[in-house]
Amino acid sequence: MLRKRVVVCLDVKDGRVVKGTQFVELRDVGDPVALAMRYEAEGADEIVFLDISASADDRATLFDLAQRTAERLFIPLTLGGGIRRVEDVGLALRAGADKVALNSAAVRRPEVLTECAARYGAQCVVASIDARRNATGWEVVVKGGREATGLDAVAWARECEARGAGEILLTSIDRDGARTGYDLELTSTIAAAVRIPIVASGGAGNASHVNDALTMGGADAALVAGILHDRLTTVSEIKDAMAQAGIPVRRVA
Amino acid sequence: MRVTILDYGVGNLHSLSKAIAAAGAEPVIVDDASAATRAEVLVLPGVGAFAPAAARFVAAREPLRDAILAGLPTLGICLGMQLMFDASDEGSGAGLGVFAGRVTRLTSEAVPQIGWNALDDPTEPLLAESGLREVYYANSFACRAVDPAIVGAWSEHEGDRFAAVVRRQRSLGVQFHPEKSSTQGVAFIRAFLQEAAA
Repeated sequence: MLRKRVVVCLDVKDGRVVKGTQFVELRDVGDPVALAMRYEAEGADEIVFLDISASADDRATLFDLAQRTAERLFIPLTLGGGIRRVEDVGLALRAGADKVALNSAAVRRPEVLTECAARYGAQCVVASIDARRNATGWEVVVKGGREATGLDAVAWARECEARGAGEILLTSIDRDGARTGYDLELTSTIAAAVRIPIVASGGAGNASHVNDALTMGGADAALVAGILHDRLTTVSEIKDAMAQAGIPVRRVA
Repeated sequence: MRVTILDYGVGNLHSLSKAIAAAGAEPVIVDDASAATRAEVLVLPGVGAFAPAAARFVAAREPLRDAILAGLPTLGICLGMQLMFDASDEGSGAGLGVFAGRVTRLTSEAVPQIGWNALDDPTEPLLAESGLREVYYANSFACRAVDPAIVGAWSEHEGDRFAAVVRRQRSLGVQFHPEKSSTQGVAFIRAFLQEAAA
Protein backbone atom coordinates (compact mmCIF):
# COMPACT_ATOMS: atom_id res chain seq x y z
CA MET A 1 0.00 0.00 0.00
CA LEU A 2 1.39 3.39 -1.01
CA ARG A 3 2.50 5.70 1.78
CA LYS A 4 1.21 9.23 2.10
CA ARG A 5 4.13 11.52 1.33
CA VAL A 6 5.68 14.55 2.95
CA VAL A 7 7.16 16.68 0.18
CA VAL A 8 9.56 19.45 1.17
CA CYS A 9 9.59 22.47 -1.12
CA LEU A 10 12.54 24.79 -1.43
CA ASP A 11 11.85 28.05 -3.26
CA VAL A 12 15.09 28.98 -4.97
CA LYS A 13 16.31 32.22 -6.46
CA ASP A 14 19.83 32.83 -7.78
CA GLY A 15 20.91 29.45 -6.40
CA ARG A 16 19.74 30.13 -2.82
CA VAL A 17 16.66 29.03 -0.89
CA VAL A 18 14.31 31.92 -0.14
CA LYS A 19 10.98 32.15 1.61
CA GLY A 20 8.31 34.82 1.44
CA THR A 21 4.60 35.25 1.98
CA GLN A 22 2.48 35.06 -1.15
CA PHE A 23 5.62 35.17 -3.31
CA VAL A 24 6.75 38.57 -1.93
CA GLU A 25 8.98 39.70 0.99
CA LEU A 26 11.70 37.17 0.23
CA ARG A 27 14.18 36.09 2.89
CA ASP A 28 17.32 34.01 2.34
CA VAL A 29 17.05 30.77 4.33
CA GLY A 30 20.02 28.73 3.14
CA ASP A 31 21.95 26.56 0.72
CA PRO A 32 19.66 24.29 -1.36
CA VAL A 33 21.94 21.24 -1.46
CA ALA A 34 22.60 21.28 2.29
CA LEU A 35 18.91 21.85 3.08
CA ALA A 36 17.75 19.10 0.72
CA MET A 37 20.15 16.64 2.35
CA ARG A 38 19.04 17.69 5.83
CA TYR A 39 15.40 17.09 4.94
CA GLU A 40 16.21 13.69 3.41
CA ALA A 41 17.92 12.71 6.67
CA GLU A 42 14.86 13.91 8.63
CA GLY A 43 12.64 11.65 6.53
CA ALA A 44 11.33 13.80 3.67
CA ASP A 45 9.87 11.59 0.94
CA GLU A 46 10.60 14.00 -1.89
CA ILE A 47 12.19 17.38 -2.53
CA VAL A 48 10.85 20.10 -4.83
CA PHE A 49 12.97 22.98 -6.07
CA LEU A 50 10.77 25.80 -7.28
CA ASP A 51 12.66 28.52 -9.11
CA ILE A 52 10.76 31.71 -8.38
CA SER A 53 12.92 33.96 -10.52
CA ALA A 54 12.32 31.96 -13.67
CA SER A 55 14.24 33.89 -16.27
CA ALA A 56 16.17 32.03 -18.93
CA ASP A 57 19.50 32.72 -17.18
CA ASP A 58 18.16 31.38 -13.92
CA ARG A 59 17.02 28.18 -15.60
CA ALA A 60 20.65 27.29 -16.31
CA THR A 61 21.39 28.04 -12.64
CA LEU A 62 18.49 25.79 -11.64
CA PHE A 63 19.74 22.87 -13.78
CA ASP A 64 23.22 23.28 -12.36
CA LEU A 65 21.75 23.27 -8.86
CA ALA A 66 19.73 20.11 -9.67
CA GLN A 67 22.88 18.39 -10.89
CA ARG A 68 24.81 19.24 -7.73
CA THR A 69 21.89 18.15 -5.58
CA ALA A 70 21.27 14.88 -7.43
CA GLU A 71 24.86 13.87 -6.73
CA ARG A 72 24.08 13.68 -3.04
CA LEU A 73 20.32 13.32 -2.72
CA PHE A 74 18.85 9.80 -2.95
CA ILE A 75 15.14 10.58 -2.90
CA PRO A 76 13.07 11.93 -5.82
CA LEU A 77 13.67 15.51 -6.89
CA THR A 78 11.14 17.69 -8.73
CA LEU A 79 12.07 20.89 -10.56
CA GLY A 80 9.62 23.68 -11.26
CA GLY A 81 9.63 27.31 -12.26
CA GLY A 82 10.22 28.68 -15.71
CA ILE A 83 10.15 25.30 -17.44
CA ARG A 84 8.28 25.87 -20.66
CA ARG A 85 9.29 23.51 -23.45
CA VAL A 86 9.73 19.77 -23.91
CA GLU A 87 13.45 20.47 -24.39
CA ASP A 88 13.60 22.09 -20.93
CA VAL A 89 12.06 18.95 -19.44
CA GLY A 90 14.75 16.82 -21.11
CA LEU A 91 17.45 19.09 -19.71
CA ALA A 92 15.92 18.95 -16.24
CA LEU A 93 15.77 15.15 -16.27
CA ARG A 94 19.32 14.86 -17.55
CA ALA A 95 20.43 17.22 -14.78
CA GLY A 96 19.11 14.65 -12.31
CA ALA A 97 15.48 15.66 -11.72
CA ASP A 98 12.93 12.85 -11.51
CA LYS A 99 9.90 15.02 -12.23
CA VAL A 100 9.22 18.41 -13.71
CA ALA A 101 6.42 20.74 -12.64
CA LEU A 102 4.75 22.80 -15.36
CA ASN A 103 2.58 25.73 -14.38
CA SER A 104 2.02 28.78 -16.60
CA ALA A 105 3.54 27.00 -19.62
CA ALA A 106 0.72 24.42 -19.43
CA VAL A 107 -1.92 27.15 -19.06
CA ARG A 108 -0.53 28.92 -22.10
CA ARG A 109 -0.23 25.77 -24.19
CA PRO A 110 -1.82 22.63 -22.62
CA GLU A 111 -0.37 20.41 -25.39
CA VAL A 112 3.02 20.67 -23.66
CA LEU A 113 1.76 18.24 -20.98
CA THR A 114 0.95 15.62 -23.62
CA GLU A 115 4.23 16.15 -25.43
CA CYS A 116 6.24 15.73 -22.22
CA ALA A 117 4.28 12.64 -21.14
CA ALA A 118 4.68 11.01 -24.55
CA ARG A 119 8.40 11.65 -24.60
CA TYR A 120 9.37 11.04 -20.97
CA GLY A 121 6.40 9.25 -19.35
CA ALA A 122 3.49 10.51 -17.24
CA GLN A 123 5.40 9.68 -14.04
CA CYS A 124 7.68 12.70 -14.52
CA VAL A 125 5.05 15.25 -15.54
CA VAL A 126 3.59 17.29 -12.67
CA ALA A 127 0.86 19.83 -13.41
CA SER A 128 1.37 22.66 -10.96
CA ILE A 129 -1.91 24.52 -10.38
CA ASP A 130 -2.19 27.74 -8.38
CA ALA A 131 -5.82 28.33 -7.38
CA ARG A 132 -7.61 31.27 -5.79
CA ARG A 133 -11.12 31.32 -4.37
CA ASN A 134 -13.77 33.29 -6.20
CA ALA A 135 -17.53 33.62 -5.87
CA THR A 136 -18.28 30.22 -7.43
CA GLY A 137 -15.23 28.07 -6.68
CA TRP A 138 -11.57 28.47 -7.55
CA GLU A 139 -9.88 30.19 -10.44
CA VAL A 140 -6.48 29.22 -11.82
CA VAL A 141 -3.95 32.01 -11.44
CA VAL A 142 -0.34 32.26 -12.67
CA LYS A 143 2.75 34.31 -11.86
CA GLY A 144 2.39 33.69 -8.14
CA GLY A 145 -1.20 34.92 -8.18
CA ARG A 146 -0.54 38.17 -9.99
CA GLU A 147 -2.36 37.10 -13.11
CA ALA A 148 -5.82 35.53 -13.41
CA THR A 149 -6.52 33.08 -16.23
CA GLY A 150 -10.31 32.74 -16.23
CA LEU A 151 -9.91 28.93 -15.95
CA ASP A 152 -11.95 27.00 -13.40
CA ALA A 153 -9.52 25.00 -11.24
CA VAL A 154 -11.58 21.79 -11.23
CA ALA A 155 -12.02 21.77 -15.00
CA TRP A 156 -8.36 22.61 -15.48
CA ALA A 157 -7.25 19.77 -13.16
CA ARG A 158 -9.34 17.33 -15.22
CA GLU A 159 -7.82 18.65 -18.42
CA CYS A 160 -4.29 18.29 -17.03
CA GLU A 161 -5.02 14.65 -16.19
CA ALA A 162 -6.54 14.00 -19.62
CA ARG A 163 -3.52 15.57 -21.29
CA GLY A 164 -1.08 13.25 -19.56
CA ALA A 165 0.00 14.78 -16.25
CA GLY A 166 0.98 12.08 -13.75
CA GLU A 167 0.41 14.19 -10.67
CA ILE A 168 -1.06 17.54 -9.60
CA LEU A 169 0.72 19.98 -7.32
CA LEU A 170 -2.19 22.04 -6.03
CA THR A 171 -1.40 25.34 -4.32
CA SER A 172 -3.96 27.50 -2.59
CA ILE A 173 -2.76 31.04 -3.24
CA ASP A 174 -5.12 32.29 -0.51
CA ARG A 175 -3.38 30.13 2.09
CA ASP A 176 0.19 30.29 0.79
CA GLY A 177 2.43 31.33 3.67
CA ALA A 178 -0.57 32.03 5.97
CA ARG A 179 0.03 28.95 8.16
CA THR A 180 -3.68 28.59 8.91
CA GLY A 181 -4.01 25.15 7.33
CA TYR A 182 -4.44 23.84 3.78
CA ASP A 183 -7.60 24.74 1.84
CA LEU A 184 -9.26 21.38 2.52
CA GLU A 185 -12.31 22.15 0.43
CA LEU A 186 -10.16 22.94 -2.61
CA THR A 187 -7.98 19.87 -2.05
CA SER A 188 -10.86 17.44 -1.57
CA THR A 189 -12.79 18.86 -4.53
CA ILE A 190 -9.84 18.41 -6.90
CA ALA A 191 -8.92 15.02 -5.38
CA ALA A 192 -12.45 13.80 -6.09
CA ALA A 193 -12.34 15.10 -9.67
CA VAL A 194 -9.21 13.23 -10.85
CA ARG A 195 -7.51 9.83 -10.42
CA ILE A 196 -3.91 11.03 -10.39
CA PRO A 197 -2.19 11.87 -7.08
CA ILE A 198 -2.70 15.30 -5.51
CA VAL A 199 0.05 17.08 -3.63
CA ALA A 200 -1.64 19.64 -1.34
CA SER A 201 0.23 22.91 -0.97
CA GLY A 202 -0.18 26.26 0.73
CA GLY A 203 -1.09 26.89 4.33
CA ALA A 204 0.77 24.35 6.47
CA GLY A 205 1.22 25.78 9.96
CA ASN A 206 1.72 22.60 11.97
CA ALA A 207 1.70 18.80 11.79
CA SER A 208 -2.02 18.49 12.32
CA HIS A 209 -2.66 20.62 9.22
CA VAL A 210 -0.69 18.02 7.26
CA ASN A 211 -2.84 15.23 8.74
CA ASP A 212 -5.99 17.11 7.75
CA ALA A 213 -4.80 17.53 4.14
CA LEU A 214 -4.05 13.78 3.89
CA THR A 215 -7.32 12.65 5.46
CA MET A 216 -10.16 15.16 5.06
CA GLY A 217 -8.43 16.80 2.10
CA GLY A 218 -7.98 13.46 0.32
CA ALA A 219 -4.45 14.41 -0.77
CA ASP A 220 -1.79 11.78 -1.48
CA ALA A 221 1.02 14.04 -0.36
CA ALA A 222 1.44 17.29 1.51
CA LEU A 223 3.93 19.96 0.63
CA VAL A 224 5.65 21.81 3.47
CA ALA A 225 8.24 24.56 3.37
CA GLY A 226 8.32 27.61 5.63
CA ILE A 227 7.47 25.89 8.91
CA LEU A 228 10.45 23.58 8.39
CA HIS A 229 12.85 26.32 7.31
CA ASP A 230 11.84 28.34 10.40
CA ARG A 231 12.27 25.20 12.54
CA LEU A 232 8.75 25.42 13.93
CA THR A 233 8.52 21.66 13.38
CA THR A 234 10.50 18.86 11.71
CA VAL A 235 9.68 16.22 9.11
CA SER A 236 9.99 13.57 11.80
CA GLU A 237 7.48 15.35 14.05
CA ILE A 238 5.07 15.58 11.12
CA LYS A 239 5.53 11.87 10.41
CA ASP A 240 5.09 10.93 14.07
CA ALA A 241 1.76 12.76 14.02
CA MET A 242 0.77 10.99 10.78
CA ALA A 243 1.60 7.59 12.27
CA GLN A 244 -0.38 8.38 15.42
CA ALA A 245 -3.36 9.29 13.26
CA GLY A 246 -3.14 5.93 11.51
CA ILE A 247 -1.99 7.39 8.18
CA PRO A 248 0.30 5.04 6.20
CA VAL A 249 3.69 6.71 6.40
CA ARG A 250 7.31 5.88 5.60
CA ARG A 251 9.48 6.00 8.71
CA VAL A 252 13.21 6.46 8.89
CA ALA A 253 15.28 4.82 11.60
CA MET B 1 35.09 -2.42 -8.57
CA ARG B 2 33.89 -1.31 -12.01
CA VAL B 3 30.15 -1.47 -12.50
CA THR B 4 28.90 -1.38 -16.08
CA ILE B 5 25.61 0.44 -16.65
CA LEU B 6 23.99 -0.42 -19.96
CA ASP B 7 22.54 2.72 -21.56
CA TYR B 8 19.52 1.99 -23.81
CA GLY B 9 19.81 5.52 -25.14
CA VAL B 10 16.90 7.04 -23.28
CA GLY B 11 18.16 9.05 -20.54
CA ASN B 12 19.00 9.99 -17.09
CA LEU B 13 21.63 7.69 -15.60
CA HIS B 14 23.01 10.47 -13.42
CA SER B 15 21.25 9.46 -10.18
CA LEU B 16 22.06 5.79 -10.65
CA SER B 17 25.74 6.52 -11.35
CA LYS B 18 25.94 8.66 -8.23
CA ALA B 19 24.27 5.99 -6.10
CA ILE B 20 26.76 3.36 -7.36
CA ALA B 21 29.63 5.75 -6.61
CA ALA B 22 28.13 6.41 -3.16
CA ALA B 23 28.09 2.64 -2.63
CA GLY B 24 31.85 2.63 -3.21
CA ALA B 25 32.17 1.41 -6.81
CA GLU B 26 33.12 2.98 -10.12
CA PRO B 27 30.21 3.32 -12.57
CA VAL B 28 30.96 2.99 -16.29
CA ILE B 29 28.21 3.72 -18.81
CA VAL B 30 28.29 1.72 -22.07
CA ASP B 31 25.82 1.73 -24.94
CA ASP B 32 27.15 -1.43 -26.59
CA ALA B 33 25.30 -4.48 -25.30
CA SER B 34 28.01 -6.89 -26.46
CA ALA B 35 30.55 -4.98 -24.33
CA ALA B 36 28.21 -5.52 -21.39
CA THR B 37 28.83 -9.28 -21.60
CA ARG B 38 32.42 -8.65 -20.51
CA ALA B 39 31.40 -6.58 -17.47
CA GLU B 40 32.59 -7.35 -13.98
CA VAL B 41 29.18 -6.37 -12.63
CA LEU B 42 26.25 -5.29 -14.80
CA VAL B 43 23.39 -2.91 -14.02
CA LEU B 44 20.36 -2.65 -16.30
CA PRO B 45 18.85 0.75 -15.48
CA GLY B 46 15.21 1.67 -15.07
CA VAL B 47 14.41 4.43 -17.49
CA GLY B 48 12.60 4.17 -20.80
CA ALA B 49 10.16 1.85 -22.52
CA PHE B 50 10.43 -1.92 -23.16
CA ALA B 51 10.39 -2.10 -26.97
CA PRO B 52 13.18 0.40 -27.80
CA ALA B 53 15.33 -0.97 -24.95
CA ALA B 54 14.84 -4.59 -26.09
CA ALA B 55 15.61 -3.54 -29.69
CA ARG B 56 18.82 -1.97 -28.44
CA PHE B 57 20.31 -5.28 -27.28
CA VAL B 58 18.64 -7.60 -29.77
CA ALA B 59 21.92 -8.58 -31.48
CA ALA B 60 23.62 -9.32 -28.15
CA ARG B 61 20.60 -10.94 -26.50
CA GLU B 62 21.92 -14.52 -26.50
CA PRO B 63 25.48 -13.72 -25.34
CA LEU B 64 24.13 -11.38 -22.65
CA ARG B 65 21.72 -14.03 -21.39
CA ASP B 66 24.47 -16.66 -21.45
CA ALA B 67 26.85 -14.37 -19.54
CA ILE B 68 24.25 -13.72 -16.82
CA LEU B 69 23.37 -17.42 -16.55
CA ALA B 70 27.10 -18.22 -16.38
CA GLY B 71 27.35 -16.02 -13.29
CA LEU B 72 27.76 -12.36 -14.35
CA PRO B 73 26.27 -10.53 -11.32
CA THR B 74 23.49 -8.36 -12.73
CA LEU B 75 21.10 -5.90 -11.12
CA GLY B 76 18.02 -4.99 -13.18
CA ILE B 77 16.14 -1.94 -11.92
CA CYS B 78 12.48 -1.28 -12.84
CA LEU B 79 12.49 -1.53 -16.68
CA GLY B 80 15.86 -3.29 -16.29
CA MET B 81 14.15 -6.01 -14.20
CA GLN B 82 11.37 -6.29 -16.79
CA LEU B 83 13.97 -6.76 -19.55
CA MET B 84 15.29 -9.82 -17.65
CA PHE B 85 11.91 -11.57 -18.15
CA ASP B 86 10.62 -13.17 -21.38
CA ALA B 87 8.39 -10.47 -22.87
CA SER B 88 6.20 -7.48 -22.02
CA ASP B 89 2.69 -6.28 -22.82
CA GLU B 90 4.17 -2.77 -22.96
CA GLY B 91 5.90 -3.37 -26.27
CA SER B 92 7.31 -5.83 -28.76
CA GLY B 93 10.66 -7.54 -28.60
CA ALA B 94 12.19 -10.34 -26.58
CA GLY B 95 13.48 -9.87 -23.07
CA LEU B 96 16.60 -11.66 -21.88
CA GLY B 97 14.62 -14.58 -20.48
CA VAL B 98 16.80 -14.86 -17.38
CA PHE B 99 13.55 -15.08 -15.42
CA ALA B 100 10.56 -17.04 -16.74
CA GLY B 101 7.43 -14.93 -16.96
CA ARG B 102 5.74 -12.01 -18.63
CA VAL B 103 5.48 -8.31 -17.85
CA THR B 104 1.91 -7.01 -17.65
CA ARG B 105 0.21 -3.74 -16.76
CA LEU B 106 -0.66 -3.10 -13.11
CA THR B 107 -4.34 -3.91 -12.61
CA SER B 108 -4.93 -0.93 -10.30
CA GLU B 109 -6.89 2.10 -11.41
CA ALA B 110 -4.11 4.47 -10.37
CA VAL B 111 -1.33 3.88 -12.92
CA PRO B 112 1.53 4.71 -12.89
CA GLN B 113 2.18 3.76 -9.30
CA ILE B 114 4.24 6.68 -7.99
CA GLY B 115 5.56 6.82 -4.47
CA TRP B 116 6.85 4.86 -1.51
CA ASN B 117 5.51 1.39 -0.85
CA ALA B 118 6.28 -1.40 1.62
CA LEU B 119 8.21 -4.58 0.87
CA ASP B 120 5.97 -7.44 2.00
CA ASP B 121 7.08 -10.96 3.04
CA PRO B 122 10.78 -10.29 2.41
CA THR B 123 12.99 -13.36 2.13
CA GLU B 124 15.82 -11.81 0.08
CA PRO B 125 18.84 -11.62 2.43
CA LEU B 126 20.20 -8.37 0.94
CA LEU B 127 17.05 -6.55 2.08
CA ALA B 128 17.57 -7.45 5.72
CA GLU B 129 21.27 -6.71 5.38
CA SER B 130 20.59 -3.17 4.10
CA GLY B 131 17.58 -2.45 6.33
CA LEU B 132 15.47 -1.71 3.24
CA ARG B 133 11.75 -2.01 4.04
CA GLU B 134 10.08 0.85 2.14
CA VAL B 135 11.02 1.68 -1.42
CA TYR B 136 10.30 4.22 -4.14
CA TYR B 137 8.32 3.11 -7.20
CA ALA B 138 7.45 4.78 -10.50
CA ASN B 139 6.00 1.99 -12.65
CA SER B 140 3.01 1.11 -14.80
CA PHE B 141 4.00 -2.51 -15.45
CA ALA B 142 5.06 -5.40 -13.23
CA CYS B 143 6.73 -8.81 -13.70
CA ARG B 144 4.65 -11.96 -13.30
CA ALA B 145 7.10 -14.75 -12.45
CA VAL B 146 6.09 -18.26 -13.53
CA ASP B 147 7.77 -19.61 -10.41
CA PRO B 148 6.88 -17.59 -7.29
CA ALA B 149 9.85 -19.15 -5.50
CA ILE B 150 12.20 -16.71 -7.30
CA VAL B 151 10.41 -13.75 -5.65
CA GLY B 152 12.32 -12.38 -2.66
CA ALA B 153 9.76 -9.71 -1.67
CA TRP B 154 6.37 -8.44 -2.85
CA SER B 155 4.55 -5.14 -2.94
CA GLU B 156 0.86 -4.40 -3.26
CA HIS B 157 -0.78 -1.51 -5.12
CA GLU B 158 -4.57 -1.23 -4.93
CA GLY B 159 -5.02 -4.98 -4.71
CA ASP B 160 -2.39 -5.94 -7.30
CA ARG B 161 0.37 -7.92 -5.56
CA PHE B 162 3.51 -7.95 -7.68
CA ALA B 163 7.14 -9.06 -7.43
CA ALA B 164 9.36 -6.40 -5.86
CA VAL B 165 12.55 -8.50 -5.96
CA VAL B 166 13.52 -11.62 -7.92
CA ARG B 167 16.76 -13.54 -7.81
CA ARG B 168 18.59 -16.17 -9.88
CA GLN B 169 22.05 -17.07 -8.63
CA ARG B 170 23.85 -13.77 -8.11
CA SER B 171 21.55 -11.74 -10.36
CA LEU B 172 18.68 -9.67 -9.03
CA GLY B 173 15.76 -7.79 -10.50
CA VAL B 174 14.07 -5.06 -8.46
CA GLN B 175 10.89 -3.27 -9.54
CA PHE B 176 11.60 -0.28 -7.29
CA HIS B 177 14.34 2.35 -7.59
CA PRO B 178 17.04 1.69 -4.95
CA GLU B 179 18.86 4.84 -6.14
CA LYS B 180 15.78 6.85 -5.05
CA SER B 181 15.08 4.89 -1.86
CA SER B 182 17.30 7.00 0.37
CA THR B 183 20.11 5.73 2.61
CA GLN B 184 18.81 2.16 2.79
CA GLY B 185 18.44 2.04 -1.01
CA VAL B 186 22.10 2.95 -1.43
CA ALA B 187 22.92 0.36 1.27
CA PHE B 188 21.05 -2.24 -0.81
CA ILE B 189 23.17 -1.40 -3.88
CA ARG B 190 26.28 -1.66 -1.70
CA ALA B 191 25.16 -5.06 -0.37
CA PHE B 192 24.56 -6.30 -3.93
CA LEU B 193 28.03 -5.12 -5.01
CA GLN B 194 29.68 -6.73 -1.97
CA GLU B 195 28.02 -10.04 -2.76
CA ALA B 196 29.09 -9.68 -6.41
CA ALA B 197 32.70 -9.09 -5.33
CA ALA B 198 32.77 -12.06 -2.97
